Amino acid sequence: MDLTHGFGARSGIGPVTGLESLNFSDEFRQLVTTTPPENSGGSFTALLEMPVTQAMELLHFTDSSSSQTNITKLAGDISPHPFGTLTFPSNSLLLDRAARFSVIATEQNGYISGETPSSSANLDRVKAEPAETDSVSENQNSKQNQNKRKEREKKAKSSMKKTKSSVEEDKLPYVHVRARRGQATDNHSLAERARREKINARMKLLQELVPGCDKIQGTALVLDEIINHVQSLQRQVEMLSMRLAAVNPRIDFNLDTILASENGSLMDGSFNGESYHQLQQWPFDGYHQPEWGREEDQHQADFPMGSTTLQPNQKISEPKRCRRRSP
Amino acid sequence: MASSDKTINTDVPEKDVFAIHFLQSLSNLTTQNPFNSPDTTNYRARKIKKAAYVSMAKAAGGSSRLWSRALLGRAAKENNKIVRFARRKRKVTWKISSKRRSDQRAPEATDRLRNLVPGGGTMETSKLMEETAHYIKCLSMQVKVMQCLVDGLSPK
Repeated sequence: MDLTHGFGARSGIGPVTGLESLNFSDEFRQLVTTTPPENSGGSFTALLEMPVTQAMELLHFTDSSSSQTNITKLAGDISPHPFGTLTFPSNSLLLDRAARFSVIATEQNGYISGETPSSSANLDRVKAEPAETDSVSENQNSKQNQNKRKEREKKAKSSMKKTKSSVEEDKLPYVHVRARRGQATDNHSLAERARREKINARMKLLQELVPGCDKIQGTALVLDEIINHVQSLQRQVEMLSMRLAAVNPRIDFNLDTILASENGSLMDGSFNGESYHQLQQWPFDGYHQPEWGREEDQHQADFPMGSTTLQPNQKISEPKRCRRRSP
Repeated sequence: MASSDKTINTDVPEKDVFAIHFLQSLSNLTTQNPFNSPDTTNYRARKIKKAAYVSMAKAAGGSSRLWSRALLGRAAKENNKIVRFARRKRKVTWKISSKRRSDQRAPEATDRLRNLVPGGGTMETSKLMEETAHYIKCLSMQVKVMQCLVDGLSPK
């Protein structure tokens, strides 16, 4: 008596598992017969880990055996049994698979196992259960099966899409742009996207530079702000040049005094070696001195020659003097 | 004070470099107009402004930036001096032809920026952004130097 064996074994574990396997057999049939063309990632046969035909064979084999009579004997009390032609999987392999599947299902259907008292499992109990809970559990299981299938299909589709995009990406290894899901991946759009990203990176740099641009959303407004900033800086230069022109009616640049006056502002220890080198590179001597000489001849006024010739040694001594003066 | 990005380099020299260049140009100015010093403040102001821009372009690294090159070229043209720099990349022709075709566009922000930044007419947009960043930094440096000068020279 395969069935009793099966039941006995099951009841040891718990009545629920036997229940589940009972229900599943019907579900197997439905799934396998109604949806044969449903293929790879989704169908139940993948779970069974065997081809469809073999599963069908097994089912029909068990059908053909005299299990029907056994079942009717057992479930004789319950006359309007929905599993009329129950094909209980007698194959041990199938049983194991069903057990696994039922375990999975019971994890999800936790409440069923909670409801059914699991301690002492009688056959009557087992028989009684299907009548009451079987429709409910059947619906649950069917729903779960379908949900699981849908999820698996979705995952498969998404993974396929991702692989597609990654495959396209592999074809163009020199373009280091990640093709995201759902975006075009041909050459032109990739180049466009690279260019756009370049421009956006530089726009970010400009945003950090201009004060008050971080809060603004939108590139057009940021650009306007940048333009305003540049215009204001240019206007400031013009204003300051006018003030400079007005400060000295006669621009006699006594560099000594200039450097002295800028003592606290510019030269507070910010002179580095570079400026000295630059000064030494300037072709001062050959360029300026004749003019200075002319100046001396024609102007008897305030051109203290010694201090205003920009010679390197002179320059070096200047800051020292200024630093002494500074408090 | 030089800041740098990983791929975009917008380093700007220190303040004293700008100061030295500006002072040199100012001294040039005084030597150029010894006697016939036109005392109109406007004329002097304009000269000083030109000197400021040229000195800024020189301080920022004469020919290593597109905008400085354009500025110096413009200034030299005004003085009728022909100054030409070697090695100028010209990725220009395609852009110019496309601009002529779609000339009826409303003046966009990038076009306005091109008008402001010297040498911005024939640059790609990403390059324009880089140049703008460097230009802004140099401008602010120059403004600081001139402010210090004015504060130092104005009667207390």
